Amino acid sequence: MKFIDPHIHVTSRTTDDYEAMQAAGIVAIIEPAFWLGQPRTKVGSFQDYFNSLVGFERFRASQFGIKHYCTIGLNSKEANNERLAEQVMELLPLYVGKEGVVAVGEIGYDDQTPAEDKYYRMQLELAKEVDMPVMIHTPHRDKKRGTTRSMDVCIEHGLKPEMVVVDHNNEETVQEVLDRGFWAAFTIYPHTKMGSERMVDIVKQYGPERIIVDSAADWGVSDPLAVPKTAKLMLDKGIPEEHVHQVCYQNALAAYSQSGQMKESDWEDVAIDQREKYSGNSVLRGGQTPKVKGSSDIVEN
Amino acid sequence: MQATTYQTDLKQAKDFLYAIIRESATAEGLKWLDQQTHKLEQEWNYRTFYFSFSSVPRFLGKATITYSKATLSQARELRSGFSPEGWDLTQLVRTYILLYLPHNNEAEYAQTIDRMCETADMYEQQAIYAALPLLPHPKALTGRTAEGIRTNMTNVFDAIALQNPYPADYLDQEAWNQLLLKAVFMGRPLYKIDRADERANPELARMLVDFAHERWAAHRQISPEIWRFVAPYLGEQYLSELEKSIKDGQPLEVEAALLACAQNTYSGGRTLLEQHPDFRQRIQKGDINWNSIGERYNA
Repeated sequence: MKFIDPHIHVTSRTTDDYEAMQAAGIVAIIEPAFWLGQPRTKVGSFQDYFNSLVGFERFRASQFGIKHYCTIGLNSKEANNERLAEQVMELLPLYVGKEGVVAVGEIGYDDQTPAEDKYYRMQLELAKEVDMPVMIHTPHRDKKRGTTRSMDVCIEHGLKPEMVVVDHNNEETVQEVLDRGFWAAFTIYPHTKMGSERMVDIVKQYGPERIIVDSAADWGVSDPLAVPKTAKLMLDKGIPEEHVHQVCYQNALAAYSQSGQMKESDWEDVAIDQREKYSGNSVLRGGQTPKVKGSSDIVEN
Repeated sequence: MQATTYQTDLKQAKDFLYAIIRESATAEGLKWLDQQTHKLEQEWNYRTFYFSFSSVPRFLGKATITYSKATLSQARELRSGFSPEGWDLTQLVRTYILLYLPHNNEAEYAQTIDRMCETADMYEQQAIYAALPLLPHPKALTGRTAEGIRTNMTNVFDAIALQNPYPADYLDQEAWNQLLLKAVFMGRPLYKIDRADERANPELARMLVDFAHERWAAHRQISPEIWRFVAPYLGEQYLSELEKSIKDGQPLEVEAALLACAQNTYSGGRTLLEQHPDFRQRIQKGDINWNSIGERYNA
């Protein structure tokens, strides 16, 4: 089976992860702009981060046969530094239209402060202006209320629910998200978000319509193979392959291809060529032999 | 406030580009483009400009464009040395949008181009640098261009260095020499560098000969094209290097070294040429020239 991981912070992951992801059937990924585990102090750090999302990281992924897309936005945590947030807002129009950017995101609430609310709304307006999907990060704390509020504000600003992916859902939030016509994404992340067994139950209960599975693997203890592993568990537990394909591939493609920046043909017939260089940097270091693999080759077990 | 320097008539340049775009774009893509430029003309704002510039692939795609002889000669009339050959539809449209950038304030104009390059992805950089020969305030963009030459992305470097008249027209000697030397290091086709002969200088010749020594010490080959820029300064000082190329070099290197000898009145070089009458004849007939050497070497 082929998979899309529509939420993974690969900037923090190793080349071993990339190799494992490719071997497990992941063909495309979306890397949302987020915080880096510590707050940034200057707008220049954002600029260079955005540059790497549309530049070097995309290239790095391609070296492992994985098509890389990203979302651009000011995350909720860092929206609380208002002086910096203002400068980041000026930067966003330079990036949201770039090739391979599939949404404004991940945006939303963390502590649900007035500053977070202000920049969330501003970015919803930006998404509307450039007709791009939105990826919403729902808060860890006070999640249920935060999720409802995120959607209320979207509607208030005239966004269409089918253009909005609400991420990090759980058993408590899913019903409302689906009822209101939004995409409901689930993050399979140890301890803080969803476990894969719970995910199986959700798909059994709600069916595959508008449900999306992702890993949000990042700089913390997390699993970049969460999507293929969850898919396998679903199959083992008797969920039809058609449904697994929908929640681990097709729905993410349907949601984010609305940006006009992502289509299936982008990764069909991908050839890996590690001899390619980006900016003179290969991911290979001295003494390593480039892996050159045509699309007709068999993936080793 | 000094007067703006123009390299070409901007309105004519826009018309020229738009005519090619109209032939290749879909009706939908063209409609989007017209909406964007209309907005930029009616009520200029940077947000719309940046967004339009970067979103081109999303709305118009990257179709390959074949340029007719007539089109290419029209391009040269527009601006000597200018050629859009090899530009896809996205690059063409980005160039067109770039010409809408207000330019009544030189400092602000240069600052915007800087900001765009700093935040550009690979293909956007390519478009901006290849558009240099059409942009106003060319003198204000030399620093940015010198910075661009420091790239290691081949497509970005080529956009500046190859088939682009801007560097020869505006770069100072230091930046020019870096461009040429870097082209050698990156293995780029030197014969595609616009008017490079006119910018030959003794300092560059010295650097290239030093480079040849380094390569030889490491038992590596040299590009035959470097002798083109040593030729004007051939004298006693570079004779032994040319001799070495003729004696030990690859066939193209021999041709290049002898062609360098033929292009200089220096007697030492003439003597070397006399020793190879068959090459001398081919040079006189024009069969051996820098373009043919460059084409075969970079084939």
